[in-house]
Amino acid sequence: MLSIALGELIQVFRNRLVLVTSFIMPVAVSAYFIHQHETFADLGSLGYIAAVVMFTVGAFGLYTTTVTTLASRRQNLFLKRLRSTPASDAGILSGLMLPVTVLALVQVTAILIVLAAVAGGPTNVPLLVAAVLSTVIMMLGLGLATAGLTNSPEHAQVTTLPVSLGAIAVASWVGITGTEELTLLKRLLPGGSATELVLNAWNGGVPVADSLPLLLPTLSWVVVAVALASRLFRWEPRR
Amino acid sequence: MTSTPVIDVERLNLSYGDFHAVKDLSFQVRKGELYALLGTNGAGKTSTLETVEGHRTATSGTVRVFGQSPRDRRAVRPRMGIMLQESGFSPDLTVRESVRLIGKLSQRRDRVERVLGIVDLTHKAGTQVSQLSGGEKRRLDFATAVYGKPELIFLDEPTTGLDIQSRDALWDAVDKLREDGSTIVLTTHYLEEAQQRADRIGLMHKGAFHQEGTVSELTRTLPAAIRFSLPAPAPALPLQATRESDGTFLIQTFDLPKDLYILLGWAHDNAVELRELQAGPTRLDDVFRSIGS
Repeated sequence: MLSIALGELIQVFRNRLVLVTSFIMPVAVSAYFIHQHETFADLGSLGYIAAVVMFTVGAFGLYTTTVTTLASRRQNLFLKRLRSTPASDAGILSGLMLPVTVLALVQVTAILIVLAAVAGGPTNVPLLVAAVLSTVIMMLGLGLATAGLTNSPEHAQVTTLPVSLGAIAVASWVGITGTEELTLLKRLLPGGSATELVLNAWNGGVPVADSLPLLLPTLSWVVVAVALASRLFRWEPRR
Repeated sequence: MTSTPVIDVERLNLSYGDFHAVKDLSFQVRKGELYALLGTNGAGKTSTLETVEGHRTATSGTVRVFGQSPRDRRAVRPRMGIMLQESGFSPDLTVRESVRLIGKLSQRRDRVERVLGIVDLTHKAGTQVSQLSGGEKRRLDFATAVYGKPELIFLDEPTTGLDIQSRDALWDAVDKLREDGSTIVLTTHYLEEAQQRADRIGLMHKGAFHQEGTVSELTRTLPAAIRFSLPAPAPALPLQATRESDGTFLIQTFDLPKDLYILLGWAHDNAVELRELQAGPTRLDDVFRSIGS
């Protein structure tokens, strides 16, 4: 798995397009949000900014890159090549997704540290970590499922739009309007409960015991995504 | 050579929806053999090969490689090298990185520089795969397949796109691997390669074996041909012959030396010139052309 991960890391840094769209763009967007934190805090809260930057990295840095990478590796038969070795399917997928996952986690951590330093830190760090980790797992699962519907890296530009834009839209909706109204709908949408968890972790004011159940909808999306991926994911291009 | 089957296929069936791609196929490949799986387009040889490699699941029947299911990658793959029909390398990795990655995953021990030397790619070690020509990619594919001298090697169209020097180098490497005891399964459209190299051939047509055996077993089922033209008028021929549309005569024979001897004796005795005389044993091409006719 580590050999595959190392190979992926080399490719990420060698492919300028992936580097720019998946890693530099989310950082640039996040930098804008942090720079304008007073404006966005007035609109929602600091927790809202934290949630939006987390989903910006999660959607573009992690989810889109995962889908594009898997579609590309399948299209050029690299997945089949890897399956010609003793490596297990789980090992292959883990190796392929490990670098982008680690990079996304590093990005989110660094951005949130900068946000905390500039505008004030979170109230409950462990809760924030739980929110970030559950979001990362959810985006990975959705990436696997979407890769099953994606024929090529070019096709990924279309197939990733609903989830990536949807997750950021949900984060903004929940971050700005809260969950006092349409509570169930907002929490069940992908990213809704994770956003609320970030809001609670950053802004405080909600008991931890009341926040922890918010992990359930996010993890349910992981179950749904993995179930979809197991049905949809293909290792070879359609002939 | 022992008779231990490295590959044992028993009544293999493969279906894609309503299409029955492989029908009740059974064959064995013994240790040290070079077994060529040939066939017409759509005959089912790629489906068969991919099932034996473990890339596909049989609809019914059994496939054993080293006595185990080829789907058990951890048990079987360290002992086999696979040269795919299409490249399957990441374009952003270099040649050296590609061989190192696949080599490491193969769990076999070897030196990257050694296998690159076999396929004359040492000078391209630092080149990204996207910069390689089609022939160089085939050689890279071969290099990863033979990394660590596996016991069983699948070569799927290995020489397609290779120049003659590269082909010779590849077959030299295959010969050396066979001297070390490796078993080879080959598919190719270059029939002369199969004719020269294969110990046995499975000739597929419409999902089943049309014929299976050694080259001589396959070719002896068809008559050899003697072709020539004659100046007119000429005395009656000593053998049964047919006149072809281009004016040449054709004698078909299962005993080429004897009938050729008779024909040459007749020409000598009658002072007849056999113009454009061509005589040769039945080739694999002829067997191939006879499929479906």
